[in-house]
Amino acid sequence: MTYFELKKIFLKPVSRIVLTILAVSLCVVSYFAIGYVDYVDENGNNTIGIAAASALRDEKNKWAGYITDDVLRKVLQENALINNSKEYLSKDVTENNKAYSKKQGFSDIRDMINRAFGSFQSYNYYRADSVTQEEISSFYDRRTANLVEWLKSDEQENRYSEQEQQFLIAQYEKLKKPFYYEYADGWAALLEYAPSIIMLVVLTTGFLAAGIFSDEFQLKADSVFFSAKLGRDKAVAAKIKAGFIVVTSIYWITVVLYSGIILTVLGFGGAGCAIQNGFSNWKAFYNITYLQDYLLTVLGGYLGNLFILFLSMFASAKTHSKALAVSIPFILLFIPSFLSGISVLSEVLGLLPDQLLQVYTAVKTFNLYQIGDRVVGAVPIILTMYFILFCILLPLLYQVYRKTEIK
Amino acid sequence: MKLVLDNLTKGFGEFVAVDHINLTMTNGIYGLLGVNGAGKTTLMRMLCTLLKPTGGSIYCNGKDIFEMDGEYRNLVGYLPQDFGFYPEFTVKDYLFYIAAIKGVRPAVARKRTNELITKVGLAKAADKKLKKLSGGMKRRVGIAQAMLNNPKILILDEPTAGLDPNERIRFRNLISGLSEERLVLLSTHIVSDIEYTANEILMMKDGAIVNKGTLDEITNTMPEKVWQCPVPQQEVSSITKRYKVSNIKTDRHSVDLRVISAEKPCETAVCVSPSLEDVFLYYFGEKAGDDNDVL
Repeated sequence: MTYFELKKIFLKPVSRIVLTILAVSLCVVSYFAIGYVDYVDENGNNTIGIAAASALRDEKNKWAGYITDDVLRKVLQENALINNSKEYLSKDVTENNKAYSKKQGFSDIRDMINRAFGSFQSYNYYRADSVTQEEISSFYDRRTANLVEWLKSDEQENRYSEQEQQFLIAQYEKLKKPFYYEYADGWAALLEYAPSIIMLVVLTTGFLAAGIFSDEFQLKADSVFFSAKLGRDKAVAAKIKAGFIVVTSIYWITVVLYSGIILTVLGFGGAGCAIQNGFSNWKAFYNITYLQDYLLTVLGGYLGNLFILFLSMFASAKTHSKALAVSIPFILLFIPSFLSGISVLSEVLGLLPDQLLQVYTAVKTFNLYQIGDRVVGAVPIILTMYFILFCILLPLLYQVYRKTEIK
Repeated sequence: MKLVLDNLTKGFGEFVAVDHINLTMTNGIYGLLGVNGAGKTTLMRMLCTLLKPTGGSIYCNGKDIFEMDGEYRNLVGYLPQDFGFYPEFTVKDYLFYIAAIKGVRPAVARKRTNELITKVGLAKAADKKLKKLSGGMKRRVGIAQAMLNNPKILILDEPTAGLDPNERIRFRNLISGLSEERLVLLSTHIVSDIEYTANEILMMKDGAIVNKGTLDEITNTMPEKVWQCPVPQQEVSSITKRYKVSNIKTDRHSVDLRVISAEKPCETAVCVSPSLEDVFLYYFGEKAGDDNDVL
């Protein structure tokens, strides 16, 4: 039965169109993700691709290891040396690029220095140029100090309770120091574009899954289906199984292909580095590695796909409307984007199912929730909450569909 | 096989579609006759467990069919009025799928599918997609799917609607051939289909069975007589105003009217045996002519 349910889904012309769109989207997103990592050669030319990633990896891995005070001082020395070179001081852009090509190897560490010695909410690209050898020893302390300063600022007054503030500070303190650093641009690029590909998967799979529980009504095949011996039990279960197989297979095939392409081109290295390494996640309070961030992102995306698409299947089982089923993923994904400007809604928006599709972004967001005496971030809450809701949704879907009356 | 409808009622809000029906059916072909909105489809849907009654019960060999659940549906084959299908499936795929949801084991399903495809004359179209079949061929697929589980209760809702005369005759013969050792309930607007095939006729009006019996019993219940009246063209209008006319046949010089009346409608009138069409018109009146396929 499940085989025939799958056949019903994949034989439709619209399914072939949707899968083609997804394949094209995968190629486009992969192209952009690969372009996220660029290398400037000694002549000042910008390149992307396998060779560029390999050259950048070689440059960055010259600085691989723990970022101790000695390493930071060495970065400042190298930075100052390049800043005094004729290429850097030249007014010609190509000359400036040549100077930058020498900084690429320690650019991530330089970015962290900019972050540490700038203010919490702003970024000054040239801040590292003025940090002294004496100051640099406070590098790790500055990260926490910036957070404390920001929490006490007028701008943040009353936003976080005392307990939440203590939680954030404790999380910052808990981060293992010194950081271990190595080239991790492959993971960074992979994660940067992961939400896009995950969202595309949920939107396109929505078209395939929408008909599983509504086609019988649209095609007027409902009477034969529900009057059959197994039409109100095993055949319903077969539909749920088919939905699960479609959602799971399309999601994981796409994610594995996307991850495989990006990591093969840009490199697998740096999986064990803390996400706070580099520019993007310096402020994140989740103390996890790139690999853990990736696993959270893809597992969260999978759970989000399951929840959103089974919710749309539930809606179609209840209303017999395919149009409603197709629109549910769009509603759940785009409505929060429109409401994101309303700050009072930020806590609620942080718990909506679209967040599961962008765990990488949620990891960088300061959404905190207090459950009893415990303060927790949004990520563990949404993972637990939507897993439970999904588990509730399955028997509900089964019951609603099996009790259908044909009027 | 014995189906007992005990005070069976189905209402949709204030509207009562099936009104306290008490009926017992055993093996044989039952023809369900009634105008649109009489409650035929609602009754059939309840018999297929697609709708739950708002009152009364249906018993199959003494057991409530809704409590029997899958055990009862295993006995049922149903061809609905609006028979939908999966357009991208081939005839074989479709029948294999329906066999699967009917709980027919794959090996049996293969054998049964091939048999039925041949029986309904679709051997050459077995690998054709359903969306490419003609209306008649689709109805034949419909009867094949209803027969897949070799049902003891076969419920056919308007099985010949939209078929050309050849297809209808073929279909009627097919249904007659299937009626051995099973209960067949056949609903149709096409009176002649029932006249030719049904052992017992059930006449339904406003949700109730108003008359039932064999063809002879039904025709004998009509208190008025049927008259064959050849009349000149100019008298047609006055007769149709005064009497129920079940047929008007125009020749070059005169018109042959079939009139239902207790008294002799004109001098030339000859009393003839009533047909089921006459009975239908008598019981259902003007409404009987509302639908294209009635006569």
